[in-house]
Amino acid sequence: MKRLIPIDIETNLNRIPLLSGFFNAVSKLTLFVLRFFKEALKPPYEFSELAKQSYQVGNRSFALIAITAFIMGLVLTIQSRPVLAEFGATSWLPSMVAVSIVREIGPVITAVIFAGKVGSGIGAELASMKVTEQIDAMEVSGINPFKYVVVTRVIATTLMLPVLVAFADAVALYGSYFGANLKEVVSFHLFFSEVFGKLDFSDVFPAFIKTFFFGFSIGIISCYTGYNAGNGTEGVGKAANAAVVFGSLLVFLVDMIAVQITSLFT
Amino acid sequence: MEDIVVKIEHLKKSFGNNHVLADINLQVKKGENLAILGKSGTGKSVLIKCLVGLLNADEGEISIFGKSLADIDENGLNEVRKKIGFVFQSAALYDSLSVRENLEFPLRAQPAKPQHEVDALVEEVLQNVDLKDAIDKMPSELSGGMRKRIGLARSLILRPDIMLYDEPTTGLDPITSKEISKLILDMQHKYKTTSVIITHDIECAHITANRLAIIDKGLCVAEGTFDEMIKSEDKFVKAFFK
Repeated sequence: MKRLIPIDIETNLNRIPLLSGFFNAVSKLTLFVLRFFKEALKPPYEFSELAKQSYQVGNRSFALIAITAFIMGLVLTIQSRPVLAEFGATSWLPSMVAVSIVREIGPVITAVIFAGKVGSGIGAELASMKVTEQIDAMEVSGINPFKYVVVTRVIATTLMLPVLVAFADAVALYGSYFGANLKEVVSFHLFFSEVFGKLDFSDVFPAFIKTFFFGFSIGIISCYTGYNAGNGTEGVGKAANAAVVFGSLLVFLVDMIAVQITSLFT
Repeated sequence: MEDIVVKIEHLKKSFGNNHVLADINLQVKKGENLAILGKSGTGKSVLIKCLVGLLNADEGEISIFGKSLADIDENGLNEVRKKIGFVFQSAALYDSLSVRENLEFPLRAQPAKPQHEVDALVEEVLQNVDLKDAIDKMPSELSGGMRKRIGLARSLILRPDIMLYDEPTTGLDPITSKEISKLILDMQHKYKTTSVIITHDIECAHITANRLAIIDKGLCVAEGTFDEMIKSEDKFVKAFFK
């Protein structure tokens, strides 16, 4: 009798270490995410540690995001202006830049910077805590390290990234206003009337919602890589690196999904 | 039977093909200080981590105060852990917290205490380890010996019945090692704790322990007092105490 499945799937997977390694990592990450929700919903809640982490997460990347956002708005305006000028459409500049920044560039660039600055920090910190037995020390004290270390950091990144994105959008729009004034004089009132005149609910709301998912993805992947780091200083370096690489990758994946979902309703 | 605090029966633990603990049988009586000696990589730290449930045994049984670790759930294990103080090899101080916060941290697992009681406890344990001035320092500002002392103070703050020390003198100079060993003994006398000390420092074992056990190739090859070990005719024991 002819076999419907000629090759044993499991054996075949084991022959491809990269593929079996990928599925292994995905299954472990899934269990990690499920544990996060279980621990996050179960009292006691670590509110003081959450407040401390939220402050640190926001504070750590505040200046970097402000500078990047300003340059982002400025450069986008300077680069777009000649093209619009060719069609005599420079009056569209504020609204075009506003829609680009609020819908896509602001959230994605801020999230990628956040993954680099905060994600790597969390990955390295947790890996270092594991290597120096600090996580074991919490466990033997009868304190749940997952709840104290992982849950607080993931919630902090989830809550703080939208705040940072809103801040980055505002700074980028100011950078754009500054850029628009390099070639001609545009009043503050006129520029921002154009900006807010063109932005509507369908631009702002989906972009705002997806930043929570960006923050969650960066937080969970950073904690996962740190919490499961190998021993030694090499493990710390690898965890920090993996947090940035996979955090940034997840941001683009989540963005792609978010755009597809948004397009269904618009 | 009642005065046996820790009981280890036929304990086995492997990591892949590496059989670290082959068949360990040990008992620790109340108020006793047991030093477990052995060469590096013989599974001493694995054994002590099994005692607090940081690692699960593959086979065999560990009982603490008559409760088998295999029969209790996570909450039960946490209750047992509250009776145990663990001093890690690296002291395992929380880098982001000051000495005061490090000492207060284990109290989170207990019902909330008024701040003046917490302050009194912190002051007492710091006084015990003679480091009252270090209260507002960060771990990065402490020397190796000071870190070990603070690690010991943090373990004592919950007034445990059992103290587990993982290589308490590793990485310290001979003078500081001796100070730490004497401190372990002082704390045992003051708080009437039962202690298990993992070490390969013969002097530390001599100062602190009432009884010694030697582990080799995953088995407990010798047990007895320090004097008995010195007089032993066993080749391995003789080589160890030379």
